[in-house]
Amino acid sequence: MTDIDPRSQHPAPQAATAPPGASAESAVPEAAQDPATLAETIAGLSEPEGPQTIQTDAGAKDGLSKCARCGATDISLNVATGNLRCNFCRHEWQSTNMNEAFGLDQGIGELRGVVMGSGSADIIPSTEVVMTFKCSACGAEVVIDTDHSTQARCHWCRNTLSMNQQIPNGAVPDMVLPFKLPKEEAVRKIAEFVGKRKFYAHKRFRAEFNPENVMGIYLPYMVVDVNARAHFRGQGEHQTRSYTVKVGDRDERRYDADLYDVERAFDLHVNDLTVESSSQRLDQTSSNTNNIINSIMPFDVEHAVQYDSNYLAGFTSERRDTNVERLAPIVHTQSQDIARHQALKTLGHYDRGVRWDAEHVEVVGQRWVSAYLPVWLYSYHEQKSGGRSLLHYVAVNARTGETMGSVPINQTRLLGASAVAQAVGTVLAVVIFLVGG
Amino acid sequence: MLETLTTDVLPALQVMAASDESDARGIGLLFLLAGPAFYALIYFRYRNSHKRHHHEKETEASTHDMRATDTFVRRLTGLSNRTMRGANHKEVRGALRKIF
Ligand SMILES: [Zn+2]
Ligand SMILES: [Zn+2]
Repeated sequence: MTDIDPRSQHPAPQAATAPPGASAESAVPEAAQDPATLAETIAGLSEPEGPQTIQTDAGAKDGLSKCARCGATDISLNVATGNLRCNFCRHEWQSTNMNEAFGLDQGIGELRGVVMGSGSADIIPSTEVVMTFKCSACGAEVVIDTDHSTQARCHWCRNTLSMNQQIPNGAVPDMVLPFKLPKEEAVRKIAEFVGKRKFYAHKRFRAEFNPENVMGIYLPYMVVDVNARAHFRGQGEHQTRSYTVKVGDRDERRYDADLYDVERAFDLHVNDLTVESSSQRLDQTSSNTNNIINSIMPFDVEHAVQYDSNYLAGFTSERRDTNVERLAPIVHTQSQDIARHQALKTLGHYDRGVRWDAEHVEVVGQRWVSAYLPVWLYSYHEQKSGGRSLLHYVAVNARTGETMGSVPINQTRLLGASAVAQAVGTVLAVVIFLVGG
Repeated sequence: MLETLTTDVLPALQVMAASDESDARGIGLLFLLAGPAFYALIYFRYRNSHKRHHHEKETEASTHDMRATDTFVRRLTGLSNRTMRGANHKEVRGALRKIF
């Protein structure tokens, strides 16, 4: 995809630091609203000074991350409390809430230009995916495969090494939303979901289905706040009368309506618009079931905390591999959808509908923060005829419990049942024609 | 097969269901589609290939400084369609998954 505005610049990875919660100070010249250009366009980014970065990994350290009380490195999330817990001395602590630390829930109306977390910076393709660290406890080399985690255990001394500093490969995001739904609960939800879809399920799937194989995975997303100006212009119809007229030998319905010119202009504040940021998940065609993972949104991202690799212990993760530039068109189109939807509440009078002829949604300011969000994922590989295969998912939102899935179908059985339905339907249709016709 | 089902049969069913001529003949025609209708029902229930995140309504948003203009143009009479032709106020364009 190409960017929608050639003026938009994207950040070279830079150390520019903004104080936490700093709002944009650069004044953006109001884009002149030439009515002639009120076409079906999405306004682009307008940032004369380039994006401002919020440094979200200040003070983060790579290597051994130790319990403050006993010094052990065996630390993981306690799903029941949402805290990190030292598995040696049971000491628990909480990470800083991202909104509180950086004021991410505030000042959408004051947003100008592009503000982004340092963990949302562009990925530099040459950056290593597999990182090697020296274990400071024993000196051995420890390898972290950032495609699947930002942690690894030293084979020699069994200490856990974490990667918390953001390097430009998309592995360390600005924030993480910890798992809240325990595995047993996810297993129960998946079993229940599939249990209701067994009869026409593929034979092999029925035999092999085992919800215990569910995996806890942190998937990469961008969470975006948008400050936009929306301007819609078109026509609407309000029904005044409904009646029947005789056309030949039959009655037909006719309507009278008042036609209006309709115009709506407003400021739009969008909070935490969430989009997938892995190219694999963004690919949503009928040849995969990624839409299943898409459909379990939204997440309560306002509870996300500052990134700490210890939240990943016992889970796997998928690295972000797309940049703001690639995602901006999606975010803008979705913001326009939100604007159109928000306008509905002012259109009650137009019971026959409104046709917008000109739509203009100009993004004045935007704030991008990268996040790992928690998903319980059950996957099943269906082998189809001709060597084709389809990866089916049953996904559970590990915050809200929302569950959705794709179950492979036993085509023979379903086609057979459809044929029976057709036969019964045909008989009924004939009866109706004979009796009623 | 499935393509046919999603692009042809379902819209046809919707049209028939929405049609004003829900007389005996209409119901009779509906029964003639019992096979494909049953297939589609089960297919979508199992595969959920039409499901997506409804970003347009599930994302927190607020409007400010709403300015509205509504100017009467004229009265239209004898319209045959129940809703406005070309209405697009409920359109959603940013869905990653496009089904129909
Ligand atoms: Zn401890
Ligand atoms: Zn070691």
